[in-house]
Amino acid sequence: MGEQQSDGRLVEVERVRKSFGSQVVLDDVDLTIARGEAVVVAGPSGSGKSTLLRCINGLESIDSGDIRFDGDSIPKAGKHIYRLRAHMGMVFQSFNLFPHKTVIDNIALGPIEVKGMPRQGAKDKAKELLELVGIGEKAEAYPADLSGGQQQRVAIARALAMEPKLMLFDEPTSALDPEMIREVLDVMRDLARQGMTMVVVTHEMGFAREVCDRIAFIDHGRIVEEGPPEEFFKNAQSERAREFVDKILHH
Amino acid sequence: MSDFLQVIQNNFPAFLSGFWVTCQLVAISFVVALVVGTVVASLRLAPLKPLNWLGATYVEAFRNVPLLVLLFISFAGFARGGFPVPPLAAATGSLGLYTAAYVAEAIRSGVFAIGKGQIDAAQSLGLTFRRTLRKIILPQAFRTVIPPLGNLTIAMIKNSAIVGASLVTIRPDLLKTARIIQNNTFKTTETFFWAGMGYLVLTLTATLVVRYLERRLVIRR
Ligand SMILES: Nc1ncnc2c1ncn2[C@@H]1O[C@H](COP(=O)(O)OP(=O)(O)O)[C@@H](O)[C@H]1O
Ligand SMILES: [Mg+2]
Repeated sequence: MGEQQSDGRLVEVERVRKSFGSQVVLDDVDLTIARGEAVVVAGPSGSGKSTLLRCINGLESIDSGDIRFDGDSIPKAGKHIYRLRAHMGMVFQSFNLFPHKTVIDNIALGPIEVKGMPRQGAKDKAKELLELVGIGEKAEAYPADLSGGQQQRVAIARALAMEPKLMLFDEPTSALDPEMIREVLDVMRDLARQGMTMVVVTHEMGFAREVCDRIAFIDHGRIVEEGPPEEFFKNAQSERAREFVDKILHH
Repeated sequence: MSDFLQVIQNNFPAFLSGFWVTCQLVAISFVVALVVGTVVASLRLAPLKPLNWLGATYVEAFRNVPLLVLLFISFAGFARGGFPVPPLAAATGSLGLYTAAYVAEAIRSGVFAIGKGQIDAAQSLGLTFRRTLRKIILPQAFRTVIPPLGNLTIAMIKNSAIVGASLVTIRPDLLKTARIIQNNTFKTTETFFWAGMGYLVLTLTATLVVRYLERRLVIRR
């Protein structure tokens, strides 16, 4: 891939701007993610967190600035974008499993269709991943037969099947009943411990504190501050971040 | 009562042959409608404006012209213009292309019933637009679309009678057969009763097939 392969930086977001119509959603965003790092992106609803992840994945195109992944700029369209996406996994708030396919086929689809992996090999690997996320017995079930927590774990396995260099999580536990949040966060924590590079949008500050290396706080499309979690919780610099921490820790 | 039985007894081979021609008309037109309808729906959904317009133009053109007019143009009109179209091709082409406009619209609304999240998920795996369409969108759209597709098929079976009422010179279909028999026997009610029964057999079969497919393939979300 790019010449910066040996460099420690996996994702470089530089002066990115993005508007929907007249509304500026990302306003001069800079963010660098190192290999092996787990970064939590926090911020109020509507501040641009999802849009930032979607731009990194090329699901939305940026108006100006640059986003590099492993040294390569994310193009607006064309063949290259599919190749880059294949190296990033994305997990959505609403799971987005394919309802017409069994759990195992959901997971094997990417490797078969995108990497051209033989069907049987892809299925064997899917089965392993399913064991890894703790629901090996559900291989032949359909998504509708699973609980929310199980569906989200399948979604994580589906992303992992592509052997991504980067995992993007957009509020992965926000749609879950409280008793299922733990099982999903546990899988994510294990991933981080194994050195997966991850960007996680979440309101789970316990997870942020325990697992992530850095918190980036975003407000009105700007990254207002960045720092290690303890620092962020104890003495956030900006008024907005302090308010946010207060609200989240004492609600 | 005995008149009813007499008409069918005396003309059974003719009715059977007409029934068979109608079956062929419907089967070929169905394939044409499904293939062309899928292509047109894909055009309307493609991420390229000119293709969208092309698809929309097709739908508006074929949905807003009477089927009988299409039959006249394809059979008589083209022949006058020096491009004779074989009668069976004119008949199945007209019926199929006409129905395809409705099929395209049904598939398109089936696609809209699929959440944007499905496309996001497929794209984030690195699937191209074409693969996303083939593996994720269309299979789900078809399942969603089975009931409306069933209704369109039933409408097409009934519309096929228009071929028999027109001047297109294929072997007599069920309706044309009934017209011939009626001409010979003057037993109008009895003759068309049996023609109606023939159409009923086809539409009921279609209904049963749709029910079966619905039970087998329906997606629980
Ligand atoms: N596809 C879109 N079209 C128009 N506006 C959008 C779109 N996606 C997001 N927005 C707007 O952009 C802003 C930021 O959205 P989002 O990134 O989803 O915020 P967050 O994830 O932080 O809640 C919101 O005001 C939202 O309404
Ligand atoms: Mg969001």
